[in-house]
Amino acid sequence: MSSLKSISALHGVVSPGRYGKRDGEPGVTATERKDLGLATIEVRKGQDAALKAAVLAAYGTALPSGPGWASGKGVRFIGIGPGQWFAVSETLANEALADDLSERLKGLASVADHSSGRAVLRLEGPDVRAVLAKGLAVDLDPRVFGDGVAATSTIGHMGALLWRDGEAYDIALFRSVGGSFWGWLRSAAAEFGLEFVTTS
Amino acid sequence: MAGRQTNRLRGHGLVDQGTTVSFRFDGKQLTGHPGDTLASALLANGIRLVGRSFKYHRPRGILTAGSEEPNALVELRNGARREPNTRATTTELYDGLEAASQNRWPSLKVDLLSLNQLAAPLLGAGFYYKTFMWPAAFWEKLYEPMIRRAAGLGSPSRLSDPDSYDKTNAFCDVLVIGAGPAGLSAALAAAKAGARVILCDEDFAPGGRLLSERGNVDGESGPAWAQAVAAKIEARPDCRILRRTTVFGAYDGGVYAAVERVSDHLPVPPEHAPRQRLWRIVAKQAIVCAGAFERPIVFGDNDRPGVMLAGAVRAYVNRFGVAPGQNAVIFADNDAALRTATDLADAGLTVQAIVDPRPQGSAAAEQVAAGTGALYLRGVIEKVRGAHGVRAVGVRDSQGGTRTIECDLLAMSGGWNPVLNLTTHLGGKPKWDDARACLVPGDLPAGMRVAGAAAGEVSTEACLASGEAAGAGAAKDCGLSPSAPGRPAPDRESAPVTPVWQVETGRGKAFVDFQNDVAVSDVKLAAREGFRVPDHVKRYTTLGMATDQGKTSNLNGAAILAEATGRYLGAVGSTTFRPPYTPVSIGALAGHHRGTDFRPTRLTPSHRWAEEQGAVFVEVGMWMRALMFPRPGESAQETVNREVANTRAHVGVCDVSTLGKIDVQGTDAAAFLDKVYINGFSKLAVGKARYGLMLREDGFAMDDGTTARLAEDHFYMTTTTANAARVSQHLEFCQQVLWPELDVQTVSATEQWAQYAVAGPNARAVIAALLDSGQDISNDAFPYMACGTFTVCGGVPARLFRLSFSGELAYEIGVPARYGDGLIRAILEAGAEQGIAPYGTEALGVMRIEKGHAAGPELNGQTTAHDLGLGRMMSKKKDFVGRVMGEREALNESARAALVGLKPLDPKVRVGAGAHLVSKGAEAVAANDQGYVTSQAYSPELKSFIALAMLFDGPARHGEVLKVCDPLRGNETLAEVCSPHFVDPDGERLRV
Repeated sequence: MSSLKSISALHGVVSPGRYGKRDGEPGVTATERKDLGLATIEVRKGQDAALKAAVLAAYGTALPSGPGWASGKGVRFIGIGPGQWFAVSETLANEALADDLSERLKGLASVADHSSGRAVLRLEGPDVRAVLAKGLAVDLDPRVFGDGVAATSTIGHMGALLWRDGEAYDIALFRSVGGSFWGWLRSAAAEFGLEFVTTS
Repeated sequence: MAGRQTNRLRGHGLVDQGTTVSFRFDGKQLTGHPGDTLASALLANGIRLVGRSFKYHRPRGILTAGSEEPNALVELRNGARREPNTRATTTELYDGLEAASQNRWPSLKVDLLSLNQLAAPLLGAGFYYKTFMWPAAFWEKLYEPMIRRAAGLGSPSRLSDPDSYDKTNAFCDVLVIGAGPAGLSAALAAAKAGARVILCDEDFAPGGRLLSERGNVDGESGPAWAQAVAAKIEARPDCRILRRTTVFGAYDGGVYAAVERVSDHLPVPPEHAPRQRLWRIVAKQAIVCAGAFERPIVFGDNDRPGVMLAGAVRAYVNRFGVAPGQNAVIFADNDAALRTATDLADAGLTVQAIVDPRPQGSAAAEQVAAGTGALYLRGVIEKVRGAHGVRAVGVRDSQGGTRTIECDLLAMSGGWNPVLNLTTHLGGKPKWDDARACLVPGDLPAGMRVAGAAAGEVSTEACLASGEAAGAGAAKDCGLSPSAPGRPAPDRESAPVTPVWQVETGRGKAFVDFQNDVAVSDVKLAAREGFRVPDHVKRYTTLGMATDQGKTSNLNGAAILAEATGRYLGAVGSTTFRPPYTPVSIGALAGHHRGTDFRPTRLTPSHRWAEEQGAVFVEVGMWMRALMFPRPGESAQETVNREVANTRAHVGVCDVSTLGKIDVQGTDAAAFLDKVYINGFSKLAVGKARYGLMLREDGFAMDDGTTARLAEDHFYMTTTTANAARVSQHLEFCQQVLWPELDVQTVSATEQWAQYAVAGPNARAVIAALLDSGQDISNDAFPYMACGTFTVCGGVPARLFRLSFSGELAYEIGVPARYGDGLIRAILEAGAEQGIAPYGTEALGVMRIEKGHAAGPELNGQTTAHDLGLGRMMSKKKDFVGRVMGEREALNESARAALVGLKPLDPKVRVGAGAHLVSKGAEAVAANDQGYVTSQAYSPELKSFIALAMLFDGPARHGEVLKVCDPLRGNETLAEVCSPHFVDPDGERLRV
């Protein structure tokens, strides 16, 4: 067991509680998703078909070809560019995901670990789209941005990867801007009321 | 005691006369009703004099009832919320509103600067170019401040804005701009077809002119119809109406900018609500239904309070239930303005006369005059009496006879101009329509339509029909299936318009641009002086350059210019409209991004630890880095000296997490690095790191750093903090464009790794204490420039690099960022016995200067590898980015400035960075320049100030004494040129 404490991106940056408008149900609920496995996968030259086959064999899902996600065996593969995916896993936590991917996709893709390099927030609630619209120039109308869709963009001048999971939106940001993002979110959501919930 | 609303028409209008709100104007307590604007409430209270003009301080009243208002500009609110130049005509009245008139002293009625009027002959177009030419030195110190004090309008609050501003994005199929009859009709047609519709209107109530006119629509009153249609639109889940929202700009790709005045109609914004919100609207289709502005007629003293546009008079009577005067004269060149006479008479007010300047007269006008008990006079208004408000007008009839008519209101109309500003923001030119005597929209940007009065339609029926057709057409272009338009297209009016632009009279200034005080005489002067293009006349006379952008004056100015230059108005052209359509507050444009939120801040994983240590931080790009860790009682210099000395004597630790880190993988990764760095990497062994320099295509140095080989096909590159993003982009470009055939993948890993430099003679002991057992970092096992993967503190994966920027035995240790805070604490603990202390970027900088390592000040975009003393690193065996351009002769002359060290002859004298070098005896002038100082520091080891400099033919001049001239700081000193490697030049300490 490590003697070093693992500290999530928003730990100490945000305290759980209610922010902005206090009365009524919060318009947006934010949760930090901690200890996720996060990794980028970029296909090696000429290995597209082999990589797809390997992912299908190892994780039971086809890699998405556009800005959307597909998941299998606890790993979500999000398309972030041609031949590039961002993998997210709850079961293969922290560095384990990149280790697993590196081993299974050896020679087919370059895998890099980002499990410590991103803050991941889940936003949900009746006003989540109105809040996100304040920083994100992407049309989140459900007919345009349905469940399973993803976007690589910026929110309030901060680079962000956003994907929709059911009625919730998950956002991955650089770890270093966690505080600035929280400042933006707190201000954008103030008129609707914002609840920050921590998980254990 | 509140004043009585003497001019309120009881039972008239849409304002809520059952509720009274109070407000103050110039300190006087007044009352109005919800639904009033500040302008309508002032008129209700019998106040006609509202402000003073920009240049001549002429008394001014209220000209319009909308956003085109040039005269009625006030300072709204107090203290930190004070807002100058606010149009009273669009300011929604609220209880407790406070406003003050502008540009007057000591009071509105007695304004001493109105003496400017006497000097009017001197203050014509271009007067300051001509009058204040000599002596030139007086301009900045005397003339300009004097002019600025005398001219101008309101003054802003100098306090910080206490309110918040919001920004948001919206997407729609159809954006409808303007909620008059055309806009409502368009929005409804598009909405019915299933389109996502956004309808914006600058007013607080939808309806546009329907609120100000008395006609019925589909059997309902105009306002009732507007309300019903608005409700139908809003009932649809995909449609919204943004009230109090001005679309102020059209941009590429169907992007429109709008500002919503969320809380401007309230004393202070409600909790958590912004004052204003900036909307970026992306629309597949847009329909401009912005309506039309009525044109004033230009005649002598046409700026007197009480001279008002005829349509505005109807707005005040019909919408606001206010009599702008009791005794009116109508002066109009069109029959549409006759409604003003009828509406006034029906409200129980007197219409003294209808003055018709059209040579042919008008039977309809004659009929209306008879019906309203007014005189019908074919002629023109020649003069206006009453400086602070119209008392009488002088009429010259077509036979040449003159008469004076007593009145307190002059309603004028010169016809209507379509509001086509948004159609021109992307470069479209309006075109002249002879029959309607106005400019109409010309070629439109893709996806834009124009309907209603903005397209030159005049009647309500035509507005409704053209709006409906545009709404259906836009929906169809979005791939929807609208139902066939139900309204028949009405016949175009047959009678051509006979515009009367100006009245030639001898007396009284005849204003074209009220806000900038530009008169007919100014336009004519410009014409005499050779100006022929409206955009040039604009710049010379300032016509159309005020905050109203000439909404009521541009076309009149062009018409006068056409006449003065003997040209056809249709051939004169128009000025260029640019965003914003109406003034937009900077706060709305900034939104959340003000103060420290101006841009995001990046914090390293151990930022909180550094804060606990009392670190002083410095901004490096978006990062906050620890500059130094001062102890109580230390000066900044003492802190830095201590941190440097401690590191060199014992051991120090520095957070280097901000350095750019790029993961480079692929079978061709080594070949790729060979091409981007000047030196080779393919022969670098796995487990080793190497310093590399990369050039730009033009041969100048771009960035440097060390790159480590973790596996045959896996490298870990570091860049400077400042250039991290730029290098990433460069690599991406190289991969995708230059050598797409290479199998190489790069991704930024900066955020993943918390990385610390542990430097000093005791560094190995500190690192060894962190390593899990069984791992060897002895000098043999892990020599200088080695790298490897280890575990620390009980299984935490770590990357270790034996690199040194300080010149000491040093390691960089990286762990996943989540362990960064834990690791720095563990390092301090492990190093306690070794005398460890943290050091900041200042000490880091001192040590790199002592070692002569180039950094940002030397990698300044003007230096080559040769200049930096790294010429020998350039491989001759391979091609790399920047090699060819780097071979240009001038970049290889020995006389070029190259890196040297400088030691002041007096070690206690600081050599200023940026200072220039000249020969010892030479004068400190540019012609004698020999180079410049790039970096400087106090070296605790040498007990002397030292510096790095770029010196002509520098490496050949070691030992020479030069004069260091620092005119900016006002000092000169002598310094000896030396090697830039001040400390441990042979690098022995690195290898122990």
